[in-house]
Amino acid sequence: MESLLSIRGLNVEFQTPSGPLHVLRDINIDVPRGKILGIVGESGSGKSTVIWAINRLLASNGAVNGGTATFDGQDLLALNDRQMLSVRGEQISMVFQDPMTSQIPVLTYDRQMSDIQYRRKELSMKDKRERAIRIMHKVGIPDPEDRILQYPHHFSGGMRQRAGIAMALLMDPLLLIADEPTTALDVTLEAQIIHLIQELRAEFEATIMVVSHNLGLIAELCDQVVVMYAGEVVEYGSVSNLFYEPAHPYTQALLNCDPARTQTKTRYLPVIPGDVPDLHVLPTGCIFAARCSQVMEQCKTTSPAKVQLDESQHVASCHLLDPGLQASGNAPKNVSPQGDALGEARPKPSVESGELLKVEDLCVRFQINSWIRSKIQKRPRFVEAVIDASLSLRQGETLGLVGESGSGKTTLGRAILGLVQAESGSVIFDGQELRTLSRTGFSQLRRNMAMMFQDPVGSLSPRQTVGSLITEPFQIHRINADLDEEAARLCEMVRMPQDFLSRYPHELSGGQARRVGVARALALNPQIIIADEPTAGLDVSVQGEILNLMNELQETHGLSYLIISHNLPVIRHVSDRLAIMYLGRLVEFGDSDEIFSQPAHPYTQALVNGVPQPDPNKRRSLVSIEGEVPSLANRPAGCEFHTRCKYATADCRNTRPRLSQIRVNGLDREVACHYPLAGESVEQERR
Amino acid sequence: MNVTTPRHSVGRERLRLFLRNPMGMFGFILVSLFFIAAIFAPMLATHDPLALDIPNRLSGPTLEHWAGTDQLGRDTFSRVLYGGRVALQVAAIGVSISLILGLGLGMLAGYGPRWLDNILLLLFDSIRSFPTIVLALAAVALLGPSLHLVLVIVIVTSIPSYARLARTSTMALKNTDFVLAEKSLGAGTVRTLIRHIMPNVIGPLLILAAMDVPVVVTIEAGLSFLGLGVQPPMASWGTVLNEGYLIIRLTPWPIVAGGIPLVLTTLGFTFLGEALRDIFDPRLRKGR
Repeated sequence: MESLLSIRGLNVEFQTPSGPLHVLRDINIDVPRGKILGIVGESGSGKSTVIWAINRLLASNGAVNGGTATFDGQDLLALNDRQMLSVRGEQISMVFQDPMTSQIPVLTYDRQMSDIQYRRKELSMKDKRERAIRIMHKVGIPDPEDRILQYPHHFSGGMRQRAGIAMALLMDPLLLIADEPTTALDVTLEAQIIHLIQELRAEFEATIMVVSHNLGLIAELCDQVVVMYAGEVVEYGSVSNLFYEPAHPYTQALLNCDPARTQTKTRYLPVIPGDVPDLHVLPTGCIFAARCSQVMEQCKTTSPAKVQLDESQHVASCHLLDPGLQASGNAPKNVSPQGDALGEARPKPSVESGELLKVEDLCVRFQINSWIRSKIQKRPRFVEAVIDASLSLRQGETLGLVGESGSGKTTLGRAILGLVQAESGSVIFDGQELRTLSRTGFSQLRRNMAMMFQDPVGSLSPRQTVGSLITEPFQIHRINADLDEEAARLCEMVRMPQDFLSRYPHELSGGQARRVGVARALALNPQIIIADEPTAGLDVSVQGEILNLMNELQETHGLSYLIISHNLPVIRHVSDRLAIMYLGRLVEFGDSDEIFSQPAHPYTQALVNGVPQPDPNKRRSLVSIEGEVPSLANRPAGCEFHTRCKYATADCRNTRPRLSQIRVNGLDREVACHYPLAGESVEQERR
Repeated sequence: MNVTTPRHSVGRERLRLFLRNPMGMFGFILVSLFFIAAIFAPMLATHDPLALDIPNRLSGPTLEHWAGTDQLGRDTFSRVLYGGRVALQVAAIGVSISLILGLGLGMLAGYGPRWLDNILLLLFDSIRSFPTIVLALAAVALLGPSLHLVLVIVIVTSIPSYARLARTSTMALKNTDFVLAEKSLGAGTVRTLIRHIMPNVIGPLLILAAMDVPVVVTIEAGLSFLGLGVQPPMASWGTVLNEGYLIIRLTPWPIVAGGIPLVLTTLGFTFLGEALRDIFDPRLRKGR
């Protein structure tokens, strides 16, 4: 197959205060013309560096040390800066992760898009605008004639990413590079963007490179996949090769870690032990040896050669695949890792175990306009972030709280803890009403409820050592304890080496910082932990470690968790019961496994079907949900979901369904829908 | 979990950057000289700064009087050394008090309720809208000249710039996850402000303080020169300059000897401040 871009022997180094960092070593990648190539790897694997290196946009302390990148007959790494200008944007264009920061906030799309076409001198402004409108229409932006005159902040997240794609396609590039194109988006939008890229590929006959850590996205979108680890390509092959016959132990481990792939609920998730190696020292032998479950003597001394696995282009670098070793019969019997003792799923806490926390009709609103302004300009003074939320949490239970961004799930979590003032409703913990509690009473209560925040590093005070951070709860509550002893105990509990106690947050990786967060939350032996996106920003393997740790601590300490997340595979793995929120209201609440197997509310159905499966044979042909979450200030009348619901009727548009109990498969569940399970029956008919 | 993450000390890296910065080193040397001269003035001075030596009045530099004498025969070198003490006193006390008050008020404005912020801002802005010298003239006219008044004027006029800086940083930190995390653990406002916000706010303020020293020294010298600050016969760079100015047709040496330390101190603190700013704020550092 002909390659549009062929990278050979690419080496990149970064100069750092502590010596050169060998970020990429001998990278060989072929991007076949007209195909979608995915580069997958954890953070630190160098996948983005490849992109920057071939675009010649490395940071000033980075340098390419040898190698070629032949693109359409010319070596990109040998071009001078002037020639490179005519390649970038013209022949190779990029879609970035965060459209908010990669688009110019003070220029309209019209200006930005005509600027992109500055090299087309023969086109008049009118032609340029027409071209831009045409492309915007193609990427699914409604009313492009009007919307092109708007600024990025007028666009919603999904529309903004569509506009980003439109800008990238404007110059008819030969190669489109998308760097984590859906990471900043919600599940439902992710599905839409994946679909859009597929459609566009067919229409523009473009070659596309997608960089992502999301295995589901890669499986759903790509034809060919490159797996990178610590600056090396460890495996290359077609998407079905990689997902069904992964050859390299790293690829296997990576696939195993993904909770979306494990259909049965196990007690623990598989993890990859150890950390990514320090690239300051060049490794001898295989780069993955230190973490490999099947490491042999030669792995530590000699680096493995590339092995072609079959007549297709499936290539992996591993000693286990060495034909000599295979022939000698010394090879370990199966290449795939043995089924780890992951244990049975944790037994569900019984219904009888008392309700520890009960939230009733909780409402939270935020002021958006001053009193005077709302009177004079007749604008709404408040937005309702959470409306009539009622849920309960039992002893030892994990409750998952799910919704798209803007659904009010984080606000609800904070309101329970009193970090956000609630407007009305009640929060009852252990028989005490929290909202009327005095200051001192509340401070006592803090010891029983702890919170874990979304950003593991950002939620640690930057100028404090880990030791003082994890013992701070004792100081705050003036508890007489030997702080050094407590610090050691907590370290032990979250399995963190003692020497971390003298470190500062910026010296920690995401997973390590998360452990510190867990330690702080657990310091005073609370009964409830509210975890806001506990695995956001973590790599799959680290995510498993953290979830396993939380699971273990739950068993030993009898903790109850309220886990807020938009990551459905994770939620499915950990939660006993599930609450789905949409625009500040609960729309479904019930047993987690039941909801996942038979979602009743159309929104739940859309979410459950919205997750891209890391299985290339389960590609979806339909986008499960159209449109985006409406603004909180502009709630639809009737059922708030009717604008996006495919089963909506006149009834839905006029009257709002109440959260009411229904019985599915002998279990009670609460749903706010006029036609619960509507989609399910349709689905079944279609099968 | 075995750990391989390299640890490089931030402090050592900063020291290395500082040593490699020639302007910073130059500033550091000048500032050190200033401190040594001011602190050890009684030992270094060759004469009593107030002692008259009428026979040798208006002399140029001699072995006896290194920087000459003024119209009363006082030793200019010794007077300048003692003048440095006044400058250091005003600078150290003035800058540190305004730093502390500015930090406190700024954090209150940034963290406290909206009405408090509005009141404090109004106060800061009104002070800043006065030209320092005019304010000083008004104060002196009312209360009479003295060193203490100079200090008060310096403090009052420089608080707003510290407070503004502290307020902006505090507001940026107020809604970060880590402050919320402290609240969720039950930490009170005082604790959050002092233990978690202050360490993150104080860095830029210290740099501003280093760059503010020459300003304060100049204000003191300027007021004393105008006769509104330190009163004769007490020595200050301002009074030395003022007296030299009156006798400039007879001898240039008092002006030279009073002016040079003023220029060098100003330069020294400015260079030092800029070097510190470059080191602590990597965003302003030029690409390497």
